[in-house]
Amino acid sequence: MLIPHPLLGPRDAQEFTYLGDASLLNRPDGMAEGALPAFCDYVYLRDNPAGIHRELWFHEQGDRSWLVVTRNTLTHEILGAELARDVALRRQK
Amino acid sequence: MTDLSPLSALGDALPLTIAIGPLTIRENAGMALASLTLRQGSGEPQPFGLHLPGPGGWKATDGIAAFWIGPGAWMVEAEGRAESDFAAALKAEARHCSVSEQTDGCVMFEITAADAAPIRALLEKLVNLDAQGFAPGSARRTGLEHMSVFVIRRAEGHLALLAMRSAAGSVFHAIETAARRLTAA
Repeated sequence: MLIPHPLLGPRDAQEFTYLGDASLLNRPDGMAEGALPAFCDYVYLRDNPAGIHRELWFHEQGDRSWLVVTRNTLTHEILGAELARDVALRRQK
Repeated sequence: MTDLSPLSALGDALPLTIAIGPLTIRENAGMALASLTLRQGSGEPQPFGLHLPGPGGWKATDGIAAFWIGPGAWMVEAEGRAESDFAAALKAEARHCSVSEQTDGCVMFEITAADAAPIRALLEKLVNLDAQGFAPGSARRTGLEHMSVFVIRRAEGHLALLAMRSAAGSVFHAIETAARRLTAA
């Protein structure tokens, strides 16, 4: 399996480690009202879709960047990858 | 004061050089290394007049070279300056960046051949990189027998491997085995 790294081109998936659902980037505000149930959902509840899934991969044996990889969990087809930093910065705006 | 004798990364008194078929593998004990990382808002420096390379690149000027290791991060090499405080010299060149000494934690193997063919054959056996696209001036970190290594193509007939010093023996074994299998084939 190859992951199309946005900076380095196609790289062997063995160089990466998998973390999980990219919704982990949406960390709730710990000081806000209702933080406890929000964190409970954030930590324990995950969607487990059969189909297109956005997930976090770490390029450990590479440039050590975090990627958001869009993958089809039924076919293992990789549909795209972008730097998690870019995704997070875009969300802040 | 206690008189201590320095050892090479492979545990010998002198760094090893070995010739296997068309390839020469040499442990480069003289290479000084320091990592250079940008801080938020700091512009890109030009240490020792060197334009830092982009993703996957390696660039050299006289005596100093650098390769890209991640977004906003480079490893800077200085041939023959391992005994000096190279990190301090680099910090003086890039005051607004973070600089860390890396010489002591690493081992560098220089693999040379008369032309590109044996280097390419070794690359194909050793690491999962596109051997054809890995032209002079390329540098990548990748896995080699579960160890993390940097591979640098310095010239058509010159490849360098930078690995963890504590795993020097295992990395050398991997290179040597691959090189011997190439000559046996």
